[in-house]
Amino acid sequence: MKNTLGRRNFIKLTASASGALVVGLHFQSCAPQKEPAENFSFVPLIEIDTEGWVTLIAKNPEIGQGIKTALPLILAEELGADWEKVKVVQGDYNKAYEEQWAGGSYAVILNWDLMRTAGAKVRHALLEVAAQKLGVPTMELMTRNGMVVHEETERKIPFGELVAEASQIPLPEEVEFKPIETYGLIGKSHPQVDVEEIINGSARYSIDVHLPNMVYATVVKNPVHEGRVAHFDATETRSVHGVIDVIALDNGEYGGRLIGPNSPNFVNGVAVLANSTWAAFKGAEKLQVVWDNATSRKESTAGLFERFHAQLHETTMERQDGNVVQAKKRATSNVEYVYEVPFLAHVTMEPMNCTVDFRADMCEVWAPTQNPEALEQGLVKLFGLEPEQIKIHLPRIGGGFGRRYYVDYAMDAAILSKKMGRPVKLTWTREEDIKHDWYRPASVHKLAASLDDQGKITGWRHVLANASRMTSLGREGRPAGTEIDEYEFPAGFVPHLQLEYGHVLSDVPLGQWRAVGHSATAFAALSFLDELANINQKDPIDYFLEFIGPPRKVPVVGDYAYDAGRLRAVVEKVRENSGWDTLLPKGQGRGFAASKDSGSFVAEVATVQMEENNQVRILRVDAVVDCGIVVNPSGASAQVEGGILEGLCAALYGEITIEDGATVQSNFHDYRWIRLHEAPEIHVEFIKNDLPPRGLGEPPLPPAAPALANAIYAASGVRIRKLPISTQVF
Amino acid sequence: MASFHLIVNKKERTILAEPDTPLLWVLRDILGLTGTKYSCGKGLCGACTVIVNGTSVRSCTLTVDAAAESDILTIEGLSENNDHPLQKAWKEADVPQCGYCQPGFIMSAFDLLSKNPNPTEEEINSALLGNLCRCGTYVRIRKAIHIAASSLNHG
Repeated sequence: MKNTLGRRNFIKLTASASGALVVGLHFQSCAPQKEPAENFSFVPLIEIDTEGWVTLIAKNPEIGQGIKTALPLILAEELGADWEKVKVVQGDYNKAYEEQWAGGSYAVILNWDLMRTAGAKVRHALLEVAAQKLGVPTMELMTRNGMVVHEETERKIPFGELVAEASQIPLPEEVEFKPIETYGLIGKSHPQVDVEEIINGSARYSIDVHLPNMVYATVVKNPVHEGRVAHFDATETRSVHGVIDVIALDNGEYGGRLIGPNSPNFVNGVAVLANSTWAAFKGAEKLQVVWDNATSRKESTAGLFERFHAQLHETTMERQDGNVVQAKKRATSNVEYVYEVPFLAHVTMEPMNCTVDFRADMCEVWAPTQNPEALEQGLVKLFGLEPEQIKIHLPRIGGGFGRRYYVDYAMDAAILSKKMGRPVKLTWTREEDIKHDWYRPASVHKLAASLDDQGKITGWRHVLANASRMTSLGREGRPAGTEIDEYEFPAGFVPHLQLEYGHVLSDVPLGQWRAVGHSATAFAALSFLDELANINQKDPIDYFLEFIGPPRKVPVVGDYAYDAGRLRAVVEKVRENSGWDTLLPKGQGRGFAASKDSGSFVAEVATVQMEENNQVRILRVDAVVDCGIVVNPSGASAQVEGGILEGLCAALYGEITIEDGATVQSNFHDYRWIRLHEAPEIHVEFIKNDLPPRGLGEPPLPPAAPALANAIYAASGVRIRKLPISTQVF
Repeated sequence: MASFHLIVNKKERTILAEPDTPLLWVLRDILGLTGTKYSCGKGLCGACTVIVNGTSVRSCTLTVDAAAESDILTIEGLSENNDHPLQKAWKEADVPQCGYCQPGFIMSAFDLLSKNPNPTEEEINSALLGNLCRCGTYVRIRKAIHIAASSLNHG
């Protein structure tokens, strides 16, 4: 296998004064013929010192998805490092790292080749030097556990003894990757690299940053999503011991609410600055603010859902195969149901916060961001800075789930630091965090199927209506694009299929979420399939497998084909693991759902019990996943467990409601999250194969809600067509 | 401002603060013990859990005035070398994802095991239902507490 890295950055070796070998990335900004500028564009990726210690830079933000462990593991594998002698250090933001963001389950997919290429190039340099020392051809040598090994003669040279010379030779242009069957690190479970620091409290998150002369700040934002500060009285706030200043934040002075195609600016409000977080919080509570909400549409959830339902009848065509109208006419029976999903918040355990030291020549930022590039762009836009004047540190992050894709809170902090002329640590209260989130879009789905006399699906129509996250805040773009697309399952599996979209404009701030679109569409489509199975009195898994058909590549769009065989394999395995075909006691039921997301196939079975007081108890969830090569099984399984619990939790309780243009919920008492006693047993199994690794942050989530709803139906006969479940069953 | 005397992780500390300051912010902003986390500020999530006079409390709702003269244990004081049975169990079960809530869970588990060295699944569930994990580490938290209990009872 040859490396396929053909991007703007290239891997370069540098010798350090200490004799260590340093390899990093050079970033060629736009003109390939020019030499890259010194320093700014070089970032280290690997350092091996003369003692053989290997330092690997973790380039992507760590939000709990385990990427700080997974990417260095891939590199260490290809290098042949001894994981016990590897230190992982979080890298700062730098363009040279490329794709330095956390989102869409992409980090392993996008960095798989880069990490392997970097590791393979350094391995090659070490092998060459060792070959000279040992007087054997390079091809007879391999790296293992931090040493170059000549197996035939059992001679070994530790990396540390090779680095001084290895750093003097040019790296090869092209390298061979290690054969997958020789992997020793990948495929074995490793605890995440920060585990020691997490369990003794020394892990540093953004919210833990402390700088000399730092001011602590918090903000009170206009609860109404569109609106301004009319005036405020800070007399009582200023009387709070420790309060230093009170500053109004008006996004009108900074380019308005939208500062880029995909980068919203902050919500208007008033900031309180103090000598401690508590003084700032207390001062904020005493603020008397009069808001100007003349421009607000004063939307409500009830009103928005009415509009969504109405919009089901006025749609754009997103995909049309065959003729659903003809299919409907010819059908033995036609079935139609409507499903609803609510707005959802992110509630990361670490609330939005950011520390900024805005000096005359440099803006230095410590941010819990999934999207440092957007943060840099925001600072450039708001303050006219050059990228060279911006330094962004990426401390460990207390959860992301898509919320930290947006950088509004960091803009708050930068403005305050600039105004104060001092470093500022801004901490949002949980209340601000929930009220000023970028919610998972709510949506209404009409599903219609045409069936022949055998119950086979001949026609399928999925109509989705909602306010699109694409057009939220007046962003430009094709509204359907983020909500339902031509790839949507079961496109390709039904001869007559129609996907439609009904667009509603709204002021509710909408954005990314874990499996944002698919979490909604999969609930509708996979609940509907279960309904069709039950209508036809067929076992839901049998019906699903008949629907998917035999293993084959099902053409969907252009070159993209859906691998029905990989989908079948996870379904068949979960059937076995969950004991699907065994009898359950009365009051219990199993539900099934399976889907593909970010290149990974996931099948889940939920087992539930209906309690006497009409409460649902989730007893167990079985999941079988095919994500290609599993880099770190323990970390991968954690992603599956987390995705399932998040999916179940959202299905049970998750709901943001809007009244008079403002979010109603404010903390964990009214935005309920699943707790320990409600968490079921979860059994995860990965299909073993040698296919390139695919995403895992999102794929386990979408099947969870339909599997749960289908299980509730099996246990009780109650069909859930509207989430959250707690508004109906409990 | 008033002066308060506390024993934090076996060290005598005297600090100046407003009497209504929650212990959480004394620990984080004054003493620099940032392992105790802010998340809800209302005693709803347990991220700020510490042990005060042998019992777990939410430090975001306990004022320094009420905590004065108390013996306080935070995550930083659990062990010298990360070798408390709970910490070892947390590593063995590879519990954390983002890790933000974990100090609070560990301190709640510390309280549970100090009173009930061999808890059942039900007892673990009910003792820790005040702690929230957003990433979904619950299955591993239960496992880690069983491991820790077993090592405390046999070790």
